Amino acid sequence: MGDKLTKREVDVLFDGTFEGFLCVVYSFYYEGIVPLSIQTTDEYQPSITLTEYFIVTDNDRARKVEKAIVKKISQDIARRVAYAFLADAADRYMNMLYYIILGFKVGHMVDSHMQYDFVLRVHKLAREVGREGHKLTGFCRFAETAQGIYYCAITPVHYVLSILAEHFADRMIDQSWIIHDKRHNKAVVYNGHEYTFVEVSPDSKPPVMAGNEAFIQNLWATYFNTLAIEARKNPKLHRQMLPMRYRGNMVEFSKHI
Amino acid sequence: MDFQERLKTLTEGAKYDVACTSSGVTRKGKRGMVGSAEACGICHSFTADGRCISLLKTLINNYCEYDCQYCVNRRSSDIPRASMQPHEVADLTMQFYRRNYIEGLFLSSAVIKNPDYTMEMLIKTLALLRGEYRFNGYIHVKAIPGSDEKLIQKLGQLADRMSINIELPSERSLTHLAPDKSKPAILAPMNYVKNGIIQNKEELKKFRNAAEFVPAGQSTQLIVGATPEADSRIVHLAQGLYKNYSLRRVFYSAYIPVGNETMLPAVPMPTFDTGTGLIHKEYGPLLMREHRLYQADFLLRFYGFTAGEMFKTEEENLSLHIDPKCHWALRNLEKFPVEVNTADYMTLLRVPGIGQISAERIVKARRVNKLNFENLKKMGIVLKRARYFITCNGKMAEKINFQPESIELRLTDNNAVGPYSQLTLSDVAIA
Repeated sequence: MGDKLTKREVDVLFDGTFEGFLCVVYSFYYEGIVPLSIQTTDEYQPSITLTEYFIVTDNDRARKVEKAIVKKISQDIARRVAYAFLADAADRYMNMLYYIILGFKVGHMVDSHMQYDFVLRVHKLAREVGREGHKLTGFCRFAETAQGIYYCAITPVHYVLSILAEHFADRMIDQSWIIHDKRHNKAVVYNGHEYTFVEVSPDSKPPVMAGNEAFIQNLWATYFNTLAIEARKNPKLHRQMLPMRYRGNMVEFSKHI
Repeated sequence: MDFQERLKTLTEGAKYDVACTSSGVTRKGKRGMVGSAEACGICHSFTADGRCISLLKTLINNYCEYDCQYCVNRRSSDIPRASMQPHEVADLTMQFYRRNYIEGLFLSSAVIKNPDYTMEMLIKTLALLRGEYRFNGYIHVKAIPGSDEKLIQKLGQLADRMSINIELPSERSLTHLAPDKSKPAILAPMNYVKNGIIQNKEELKKFRNAAEFVPAGQSTQLIVGATPEADSRIVHLAQGLYKNYSLRRVFYSAYIPVGNETMLPAVPMPTFDTGTGLIHKEYGPLLMREHRLYQADFLLRFYGFTAGEMFKTEEENLSLHIDPKCHWALRNLEKFPVEVNTADYMTLLRVPGIGQISAERIVKARRVNKLNFENLKKMGIVLKRARYFITCNGKMAEKINFQPESIELRLTDNNAVGPYSQLTLSDVAIA
């Protein structure tokens, strides 16, 4: 692929969607676009040293690349790439590109090539995203609003909303809910049938709660505090299992009874 | 008593049952129902003692007919008593579940009137939750020893996991401290559940719509330190339970005095020093013992070890200062060092410090590269313990004196009974 193409080394810009990133991969193979750096348009800061090149998102191209990754590398690796993409780390795009390029060369064996830093880096990012997503499937706390919608605020390091959306759309299938990522100013809204992702203004007000919400929250805090066995208290282990950064959004840590 | 007080009282009565896992079964959500289940289990919070909370763990009531000495709910115990109605339990479960506080319910009960009557109460509650409330999440239920098999069958069709607690690791201790329970009364329902699960798997193969029976398997709990059984006996017992009763989990619970026991050894009442964050120093070793038993349990379940390999005699205890895998390796030093580039997966698993994830990574990476210590480090393999037991391309990590005493000295965890406490010279002098 791409042997006869004239190669151009440029600083690539794309729209920040996963499809957009896959189009960067497409351009590498079919248009000879070799990125020196990859940035999203909203993070982009113009500079005279950059030779920026904008790659337009095209869903057909994205799908073609996605299918090729599954077929020529593996389903597992396609999933790892999708998870690494959700990481909130500036270096993720370049490392993912190298990882995919190596994948097209060596197939599913790409994960064995741990001598390359970009392989380890993609593994690490995907692992972190997977871990945070899994943890939050447990640590999310919903509160019933006056409109009967269940609202949950989180402040995750990574962009894990899509992982949570899939989980809760299955679990709370008949319930309307919102998960609000306050760090990245995004939210996912589920209406009992389907979910959509929306941007949220940083100064949006928290919703008004239902009448019995405080009562239920108190019951939970009571339960939580009773369950600990005084003789076994172990603050260090507690912090390891449930890092402080999650606690701000968890009702059992904000109520003192 | 208002509802909050009752919840508190009943939770007090349930919290010494350490099992709080929600694993073992995957069930997708369904329209018209609430909930799903994930085989890996999900922790929703952690108590101040660092234990996972995944279930609403509570009792229907704590008015117990029995007088088991180790139990907080025993007849002679001077504690407040309370009960919850089936619809109260179901309602609370749903309220907590919809807010994602919990993964499901862990329901148990004190023995009221007799085992069969108690079982019927449990069945009534779960039937309400699964039926009227359309609850599709995880349910763990504790069956009552000595109840009718038909009731166990009914209960097992409503729950994901069932546990029947053995509590005391020998028949002698059981007779002595739990006069209302007997070994056959505990083992009979366990055996029934085991056979029921096997039979149910056959039925499910033939009829896709057959009712599931305890799909996440059964578990049990053993109390450690209330009676004189050595770790060797406990681990052998666990091995037998895994083998003969196909248990998914055996839980170990360090004995915590629950007040005015008369027949139990005088374990000092543990107190928590909020100033230093340390537990009473005499209690630390018991928690470490519990930790070592869990490590030995993992060796049984995931690492291909047998109880016989871990102990030379029946009365032996696990070392508090060194983990059971290290201990085994030091006793079997002729099997080491192991060459990471050629040793098979099961052999790698036996290297102290190498767990399943590390062993898998090594096997994967060495397909394309010969591995050296630098590679291992970069791959995230922790070499603190492993370095004494492996070679990379025939070379050991550094000048290591390959003698058990020398390695043991370097691997001994001086904080083995900490973070709870550390012995000082004066402690030794008093002893």
